[in-house]
This record gives sequence, C-alpha cells and structure tokens, in this order.
Amino acid sequence: MLELKNIHARYGAITALRGVSISVSRGELVALLGVNGAGKSTTLASIAGVLRPWQGDILFEGSSILGKSPEQIARLGISLVPEGRDIFPSLTVEENLRLGAFTRSEKTEYNRNLGEVFELFPVLKERLQQPGGTLSGGEQQQLAIGRALMSRPRLLMLDEPSLGLAPALVDQIFELIAGLHQRGVTILLVEQNVNRTLEIVDRAYLMNTGLIENQGTPQQLRTHADIEGLYMGVGRQAKT
Amino acid sequence: MINLEFIINTLSLGSLYAMLALGLVIIYGILRLVNFAYGELIMMGGYIMFLLAGFTPLPWLVVAALAVLAAMFTSLFTEMVAFRPVREKSLTAMLITSFAVSTLLQNGALLIISPRARAVNLPQIFQTSVMIAGTSVPWRNILTILTSLVMLTLLTLLLRRTVLGIALRAAADNFTMTRMLGVPANTVISAAFAISGIMAGIVSIFWIARSATVTPAIGAPPLLVAFVATVIGGMRSLTGAVVGGFIYAITISLLGIFLPPDLLEFREAFMFVFVIIILLFRPQGLISSKTSTERVG
Amino acid sequence: MNLTARLKPLNSPLTLAGGVLLLAVLTELLGISLLTRIITVMFVSLILVLGLQLYMGNSGILSFAHIGFMGIGAYISVLFSMTPTAKELTNSNLYPFLIPLHLPFVPSLLIGALAAAFIAAVVGYPLMRLSDAAAVITTFALLVIIHVVLVHWDRVTNGPRTLFGVDNYTTLWISVLFCVIVILAVYFFKESRIGLRLRATRDDAYAAASIGIDMVMMRWLAFIASAFIAGVGGALWAHFITSFSPYSFYLTETFVILAMLVIGGPYSVSGAVVGTLIVTAAREILRAIENYINILQVFPEGFFGFTEVVLAVVLILILVYRPTGIMGSRELRWPPRRGRIESAETNQSVNHIS
Repeated sequence: MLELKNIHARYGAITALRGVSISVSRGELVALLGVNGAGKSTTLASIAGVLRPWQGDILFEGSSILGKSPEQIARLGISLVPEGRDIFPSLTVEENLRLGAFTRSEKTEYNRNLGEVFELFPVLKERLQQPGGTLSGGEQQQLAIGRALMSRPRLLMLDEPSLGLAPALVDQIFELIAGLHQRGVTILLVEQNVNRTLEIVDRAYLMNTGLIENQGTPQQLRTHADIEGLYMGVGRQAKT
Repeated sequence: MINLEFIINTLSLGSLYAMLALGLVIIYGILRLVNFAYGELIMMGGYIMFLLAGFTPLPWLVVAALAVLAAMFTSLFTEMVAFRPVREKSLTAMLITSFAVSTLLQNGALLIISPRARAVNLPQIFQTSVMIAGTSVPWRNILTILTSLVMLTLLTLLLRRTVLGIALRAAADNFTMTRMLGVPANTVISAAFAISGIMAGIVSIFWIARSATVTPAIGAPPLLVAFVATVIGGMRSLTGAVVGGFIYAITISLLGIFLPPDLLEFREAFMFVFVIIILLFRPQGLISSKTSTERVG
Repeated sequence: MNLTARLKPLNSPLTLAGGVLLLAVLTELLGISLLTRIITVMFVSLILVLGLQLYMGNSGILSFAHIGFMGIGAYISVLFSMTPTAKELTNSNLYPFLIPLHLPFVPSLLIGALAAAFIAAVVGYPLMRLSDAAAVITTFALLVIIHVVLVHWDRVTNGPRTLFGVDNYTTLWISVLFCVIVILAVYFFKESRIGLRLRATRDDAYAAASIGIDMVMMRWLAFIASAFIAGVGGALWAHFITSFSPYSFYLTETFVILAMLVIGGPYSVSGAVVGTLIVTAAREILRAIENYINILQVFPEGFFGFTEVVLAVVLILILVYRPTGIMGSRELRWPPRRGRIESAETNQSVNHIS
C-alpha cells in the first residue's frame, strides 16, 4: 500500500534521511524503531507531505505522492498523529473531532464515526465541550487518535503515541493500537518503547542516523538484531 | 467633562477601533503576518465611495456595500499576488512585501486619482443628530455602535458555528496540523483575508464619515490605531483586539479632556508613551491567550 | 604575519570603501554638478541604509523607526549649526534658550546623532523584549509618533512648515568621508562579539539563550548604534538640502531606504552598498520619466507616484524570486570570488512547508 524508495530528506543544512526504503502492506501494523534523532519522525513527516524529500519517491497505492501538499495527502486517506499530539487547545473536544472528519462530508457517516470513537474513548464523550487544552496528556492522546480516526484513514501513522504517558495509559494505548490492527486498520507506528512495540507489530524497521539498519518480524529482530543496543539507547556509529 | 455625550462618543470610537483591530488580528492569528497594507483597504473603500457617490446615481446603501466589497477584493487580490508567493519563505519577507503593497496602493491612488484630498458625498444621516436624554448624539455614532455589534455577532457565529470558523481557529492554533487534516491552506488564508477586508471596508465607511474626505494617505492613521490596539490587547486573541480597541478609544478620549490645550495635539504621542509603559510590564499584551509563546525577553 | 595575511579579513570593508572612494573621485573628475548632487545624496542614503543594515541584518528584526531617528538627527543638529540670526529668521516661535546655541558643523552633527541614539535607548528598551511581530509594529508606531512630535512641536522644529537657512556643509567629500567611516563601523560591528551574538539570536533565539546570550541587551545595543548612524545621516542630509520639513522623514523615505536594503540584500554590508547604488540609479531614471510625462501634461492631475509604484513592484518581485537580495549574504571581495559559498543564511530561505 505504501512504499518509500530511497528517500533522502533534510532540514535546512542538516541531512535527516539518507536513503530510506520501507513498505507497508494493507492491513499491516509496521513499526519504525530507533533512538532519538534516527529519522523516524522525519520519515513520517515526509509521507505526510510536511517535508519534501529531495531524492527518492513515495508511492501510495501505486501512485507517487511525492511533493503533494499535506491537505492533498490527507484527502488520499493518510492520517498522521504527530509526536506531541498537536490537538487544538483552544477548540473543544467536539470541534477537534469535527475537524478530524473534514475530509468526509457525509452527515450519517460522521455520526457513525463519532459513535465508534466514543466507544473506543468514552472519556472524550464526557469531556465533549471542554477545550482541548484542559485535557490531561493521556486524554489528549486519545483525542488525537480519535480525531485521526474520524476520517476513516486508509493509512494511520502514529508518532510516539506512548510518549510521556503514565504506565497504565501506555498499556491502554498499545492495546488500542493492537485492537485497531485487528479491525483491519493499516498502521505505521513510530515508537521508542521497543519491547511493547514488538509484542504487537507484524514487522519493524530499525533506524539509525537516517538509514534503515535492520528489518524483519519481531521474531527475526529479537534473534538477529542488536535489540539490547536499542534498549540502552546506544547508537551505532554512523556509516558514511 | 465625562457626560453622556462623552460616553457615547467613546463607545462609538471604541467600537470602530475594535473592528479595526479585529480585521488585523484575524490575519495575524493564522499567518503571523502583520498586514501593512491593511490601512490601504480603508483607502480603497474611501475612493470607491468617492467615485460612486460622486459620479453615479447609486443609492448610498449600495455604494457602502460596494465599498466593503472593494476592500474585500483588494484584500484577496493582494493575498494572492503579493503574499502567497512569499508565504513559504519567511515572515520578514511577508512583512516587507506587505509594506511594499501598502506603498504600491497608496502611490497607485496618487497616480490614478490625485494627490489632493477628495470630498466624499455622504448621506444625510451622517450629518444629523438625535436627542437622547437631553444630549445631542450624532446618528453616525449610534450607527457605528450598532454596526459593530452586528459584525461582532456575525463573526462570533462564523467562528463558532461553521466548519470554516472552526478551521480558522484551528489554523490559528496550529496551521500545519490543520492542513494535515485535509483543510486546504489557501482556503483558510483567503477566508481570513476576506474577513479582514470586510472589516476594513466597514470601518472605512464610518472613518470617512467623520471627515468626509479621502486622500491617498488616509490609511496611515487607522493602521496605527489597529497596530497599537492589537499590541495592547495581545496579538494572539480576538478578544484582545476588541479590548485593545476600546482601551485605545477610552485613553485617547480621556487624554482629549484632561490634557492642557497646548499639549492636545500630542495626544498620540502620550498614547504611545502609555503603550510603552504597558509593554514594559506586559510584553505579551493585556490579554494573553493560552497558547502564547511570543514573549522572548 | 605578513601584510597580506593581516589585511585579508579587512578585504570586504576595504573593497567597499575603496569602491565608494573611487566613485567619488570619478564624480569629482567629471565635474557635472547634477551628478555630484546625485552622488552626494546617494552617499548619505547609503549611510542610512547601512545603519538599518546594522540592526536589521544582524537581529533579523525589521525596524520602521529608522527614518524617524534620521529626522531627530536632522532637526537637533541644525539647532546647533545654524547661526542665531538664521534661526530667528526661519522660526519666529523658537524657544529663546535655543537661539544663542551655535557650534561648528561636526559637533552639531554629533549632538544630533547622540540625541537620536538617546531617544532610541530610552524608548527602545521595552521594545526589545517584544516578540518579533509586536516589535516591528511598535517601531512603526514610533516612526509615526516621532513624526507627530516633529510636526506639532513648532517651538523646536518650526512645525509642519519648512525650516530653511541651513548652511550647506555637506559636500561630496564630506559625505564620502562619513560614508567610509560608517561602512567600516557597520562591518566591524557585524564581525564583533556583539554582532556575532546578535546573529546567533537571529538564527535561533532559544539556542542562543541557552548559551547565555542576552538577546534583549544585544538587540538594544544594535538599536542604539543604528539610531546613531541614522542621526548622522539625518544631519548630513539636512546640511545638504538646507531646507526641509517633517514630511521628509516619513513613509516614503522609509520605503526607499528599506527597498535599497532589501534589493541589495539585508544580510551583508555589501548588500547595503549594492542596493543603494542600484535603487538610486533606478530612481533617477524613473524620476526623469515622471518629469518628462508631467511636462507633456498627459495627465491633468500630474503624474506622481510612478517611481514609488515601480520600486514597490520590483521589491515584491525580489522578495518572491530572490528573497535574500542581490548579494545573498555574501560580502564583496577583491578579487571577486569564483565559487559560491552557501552560508546558513541563504539556506534559511529554503524552508519546508511548515
């Protein structure tokens, strides 16, 4: 469904991705793992259209989406929940969700999606008229994911959804992601919580300093890759 | 003397200044752009009124509506031609472009019409007054207050009840995220510029009503008011713009009463000192919105 | 270190100064009085543009107040340089204590510049803590207020009326001399510790703060220095034109000086020089066209504003297609450099969408 071919990207003078190639098939739950600065968020940003790679190509369902604007990419059904959640603090929960459904104009569909989001995240229904900025970190994360789901995305991208959350909430989030995966949502997940991630994903890529160092099923990665190094946050020397 | 006349006049001035500041802040909130050409939108409204009221038999309400439309289209036009191409580059570039557009429009008017002031034919109602509780109140002031109430209500309804309004507020919070939800950037920005233009157009009607003349430089005084009101109120909130507008009006009216006669002409200078003092203690303005991250010192 | 090595870091400012001096010599040799006038004014404009570059180029913040400080420099300097008789002649309303003041040209000029710097210091300090957009707006307000004060304080300035009778001290060589001094001063400010720190805050305010750079203080110092130079420019201009009014120090001049800086390139001293040269030449040509059309009486109301319209369009085009100006952030060197060295500043304009 999604294919990145040899993506090179940079921020100003800093090169962030130095030839990244990944793929995600329909219905898969794939993870990008790596330490801070490995280029995971940059990869998602490139797919979402926020950052334009200067080399390589990105294919979604066979067609190139390189160079498309973020709004065009959203309309294709790709939803990104950024690191830091990026909910709209001055908008109410309801308004946040309504905007999430922007690409879907049908009224009955909106109500159905809203109902499903409320099922997954009952707390959002409770806090429906509260400004997003007054929600706790965990609630904001739920709002961010709920908002992304309002558009019934074909590809859901999550950037460090467990970041900064209490352990009980972390469990909840991972269960939720696994649950979505079971429902058939295609998910690309960026995470630093290696252990929990490998428990639920189909495949994962290990990134380091802008390159893919390793990939495979959780099984393969556990036996062959230096997972411990990833745990300890010990980054390898950049290969030039 | 602070009497009913003073209160109504100040309320009217405050309403005018509030609308003025709103038109400026609505663009700033989303784009972080200070639109220097904003004053020239008022100039455009004024010249359309001059041309239509002076040379055509159109009824005044139509003239006023067309003036507002003219301001709106000028706003949209400058966005498309001058700001959109530079939007992605840098904030400073946009600021300078807006200043260049301001100069362009002003000198354009100079070139095409005349450097001299032009008299605008105003409808009778702007010259008449009505007696309220023993004081003579110009209709002009009442209309200003009423119009601003209507506009504020409409704007609030737009921002709170429509999807566009929600998108505009979201864009002010986080523009990139709004785009990632599929909201077209250009639509949001054009909407903001259109609203800004409409505000300017309406302000131009009542601004010109006070002096009945229009010159190419007529945009500078209201621009200054809009700037100062926005800075006082805090640049990130619409409420702040309204508050700032009223504070400006109240302060300058009080200065008009309490300053000795030979210092009266320095009213604006004193106003500015007052603003500097506010900024010394609250650089972020009087109303800080939750997401203000602007303060640096 | 041998002489060449010691001179190397001075290459740019010396090249610029040398170029400016060369131009002065050529003008003197040609002896065309109109050209001499144009070039003299150009050097004064250059001083103003350089002053703006010092603040804007290093801090990254736009200041609209610059021409206001020019006006302060002009009006204060003439208060001292004019003879008592001349003062009484032009302004019957002048404060009595101002009449007997009389100093030679250079001290008067310095006092004018110091007055501008002083006002900048006092009013500028609260401004430095504002966010970028609020800071820009407030400098604009400052310009307007200075203008209002100049127009209304007729006991000092002769109000909206023309102040005449100023001695013509500013010759070609005087303006060139000051111009060269300012080029060197602005260049050395840029490369000084203050300049470097200021540019660090321009590129990344938070990172700069984290290494202990006091951004408010740096900006403030630059603002004061910039106002001083504007005051110098104002005094020089006043003593060239010999009669002026507050309307000479307002929006049109602000626009022209800004255009010169931005078209040339606001991030380098060479940009200021190149921009001033080009815009001066363009303006003279456009002005000639404007006059010609006026003589032909094609337009009943007169043909005014054409120069500014063209200049504004050019400015917008430059910002769209080459936002860092003609020079980018490069400085002119002798001999001219072959390859282009992309500095971080030129890359700054290559932003991604957010």
